[in-house]
Amino acid sequence: MPRTQELHLNMGPQHPSTHGVYRCVLTLDGETVTSAENHIGYLHRGIEKIAESKTYPQFLPYTDRMDYLCPMVYNQGYVETIEIMMGVEVPVRAEYIRVIMAELSRITSHLVMVATMAIDLSSSTGWMYCLREREKILDLIEMVCGSRLTVSYMRIGGVSEDLPDEFIPGLRKFIGELPAYLDEVHELLTGNEIFQARTKGIGILPPDMAIAYGVTGPNLRASGVAYDVRRAQPYSVYDHFNFEIPVRFNGDSLDRYLLRFDEIEQSLRIIEQALDGLPEGEIKGKVPKLIKVQPGEVYHQVESSKGAVGFFVVSDGSNKPYRLHIRGPSFVNIGVFPELARGWKIQDIISILASIDPVLGEIDR
Amino acid sequence: MYGEGLLKGLRVTLKHFFGKHVTQYYPEERPQLPERFHGLLDFIPEKCIACGLCQSACPNRVITLKTEKGGEDGKKKILTEYGMDFRYCMFCGLCIEACPKDALIFTQEFELATYHPEDACRVLYRKQVE
Amino acid sequence: MELLENLFTNIAGWTRTLLSGWSVSYSMIELVILFLGIIAILGLIVLDALILVWLERKVVGFMQERPGPNRLGPAGFFQTIADTLKLLGKEDVVPRAADRWVFRLAAPMVFIPAIMLYAVIPFGKNMVPINLEVGLFYCFSIASLGTMSFLMAGWGSNNKYSLLGGMRTVAQMISYEIPLLLSVLGVVMIVGSLNMSEIVAAQQKVWFVLIQPVAFLIYFVAATAELNRGPFDLPEGEQELVAGVYTEFSGMRWALFFLAEYTNMIATAAIAVTLFFGGWHGPWLPSWMWFFLKVYVLVFMFMLVKWTFPRIRVDHLMHFGWKFLIPLSLANLLLTGVGIQIYRVMGG
Repeated sequence: MPRTQELHLNMGPQHPSTHGVYRCVLTLDGETVTSAENHIGYLHRGIEKIAESKTYPQFLPYTDRMDYLCPMVYNQGYVETIEIMMGVEVPVRAEYIRVIMAELSRITSHLVMVATMAIDLSSSTGWMYCLREREKILDLIEMVCGSRLTVSYMRIGGVSEDLPDEFIPGLRKFIGELPAYLDEVHELLTGNEIFQARTKGIGILPPDMAIAYGVTGPNLRASGVAYDVRRAQPYSVYDHFNFEIPVRFNGDSLDRYLLRFDEIEQSLRIIEQALDGLPEGEIKGKVPKLIKVQPGEVYHQVESSKGAVGFFVVSDGSNKPYRLHIRGPSFVNIGVFPELARGWKIQDIISILASIDPVLGEIDR
Repeated sequence: MYGEGLLKGLRVTLKHFFGKHVTQYYPEERPQLPERFHGLLDFIPEKCIACGLCQSACPNRVITLKTEKGGEDGKKKILTEYGMDFRYCMFCGLCIEACPKDALIFTQEFELATYHPEDACRVLYRKQVE
Repeated sequence: MELLENLFTNIAGWTRTLLSGWSVSYSMIELVILFLGIIAILGLIVLDALILVWLERKVVGFMQERPGPNRLGPAGFFQTIADTLKLLGKEDVVPRAADRWVFRLAAPMVFIPAIMLYAVIPFGKNMVPINLEVGLFYCFSIASLGTMSFLMAGWGSNNKYSLLGGMRTVAQMISYEIPLLLSVLGVVMIVGSLNMSEIVAAQQKVWFVLIQPVAFLIYFVAATAELNRGPFDLPEGEQELVAGVYTEFSGMRWALFFLAEYTNMIATAAIAVTLFFGGWHGPWLPSWMWFFLKVYVLVFMFMLVKWTFPRIRVDHLMHFGWKFLIPLSLANLLLTGVGIQIYRVMGG
């Protein structure tokens, strides 16, 4: 009696649309995926081990190389953890500047997600349009801290330099122009029937499965659970600002994609409020020259564009950490991918992977 | 109408087809870099007091400092050689922040490619032997 | 204008007089003229393919707000030549476990049907290479031979990605040949003949795109699917299957696939111009210039569609072809038939 045979296909570490060096072993029955396995570790650089031989200020440039698309939030998470351990007070102006930069980073990261989703579905024009917008933000960030991607902008106790004069008018101009460009992307992609057929109803993540797997960030909020670390455990000055937690209820790829646009809108709101209320003052708090942290351990979470980033620092009293562990949100998010991928076609799992938006830098560290 | 989204998309691309380019024509058009740009580092030897704070601030052990004892009382540290290995430099700026005398600055030079990796290891100052 | 218009027929006539002046027999003269025609068409195809590679990259660039190739030559025109020279210099890798003859023959087998299509296209007034009575039928039967070569490429590579790509291609091309044929039947019914020159001649007063707009749209969509272009480029599927069918091909073999695609695209656009846009009819300019102008406008439309839309999923593609396009084209045929009868009854 003729039987069909299942095919093992390797979406190898070198692949045009696996967001970095990620390997997925698929078992296919014709075109349908019957099982998927994650294989990670191709970008492991031993950052957590390196942390044990660097002093606290020296480790800061490493934090923006983990999630290289949203570096300011990682900087913020790390310096806040050390500040909690040392009991340092950060001036209010520095906190406001940190919030502005973190939200700008969040917008760039979401723009990259939309761009990669477009090109993974083979619309390279959408990719170009989103990256054109991202270039403007990167120019603004370069104006402040001299680098576009690996910023190393924040310091323990504040930020490294104050905002230059041309930054705030440039930022206000950009905030005014962005919604029109996003409408153009909506016209090109979101309303397109082919795009909707590729993403609507694909890869539905039920909310209880999301919570059981520990998924956080936009992937969780697209399934209907309104959990955001900025509201649940407020840090920095986020309680000064008026913003909503965007939620969508279908949990499919289209919702995860649309939620990023909602988040960009909310980030723009926060930036506007921060610019309006930016106080004068110092940008660095009182911090000793040689930073030594008393023995103890602290775990602190911040909200990045992928989910909740956690920093766990164990100190033994010296100027180097004894153990530093980072909870990368993409590492946890990608754990739910084999569940989501089962039963869909190969082209669908590309769309699901793009909508989860993993970044290999923070999965492998 | 079925197909309306498709037509809107075509309209967007057609509009951009006749629009301006956003490309910067690189070797002919130089980029406008902000003044805080993290380019190649430059060293001002007259300001340096050979304290070694930059060397201990660097995460990657990029800076090599050679000093000798000299001066009027024979106890002051005098700088003889200052080298930076740009193969490992992250251009993070921690050394510049650590320097108490502002002897290190960022320039705007970014075209740093060399044919041999050893050429990236630069000696920024060597004391002339009289 | 008169000189330009009859340029090619004058060359043919002049060659005839020259050869008969040398007392060459009549059949030999016809054979020589035939060979000259073949060489001219091959030269045209190669030139067109080269131009089209450059044109596509420029059009994409302009749509994405960037200039495309702009370093080599005026507006980057010599970029294609540089790329071809590079590809010619590459090593021809045949995987050890591949099916040798199938692998080697796949690339030329794609190219040959594409070239054969040019034999019956009327390029201008009195400029048909071979005036076949069943010209249209010949076109579609030759075009369907291209399907097999994709399966050969997919199977011969001995690679799972290629096999998946090959099987998808065959499914896609077979499904979309049916609406392609059904959509042009309306035109055939109106003209009453399969001869390409007669179809062009029948459009002297009005272009058929105005009488059969739905048929043109179906033809456009089905042709995009047949060419493996645009939203239907699953066989290549770069983002999903690395390079799909073309994964194991490198160097000139790979280039042959793409040249074949462009050649096919010009041929398909030429057929569309002949059937729907009045062929070479047009005021004032020479007829062959009008023909090429119309062909390039259609090619631009193909490119616009390709670079705007995301790729469509395999089962949606099959649904769309079988459940939407075929009933639509049958309905079009019904309406055309009814329309023709009414026209006859009203004394047209």
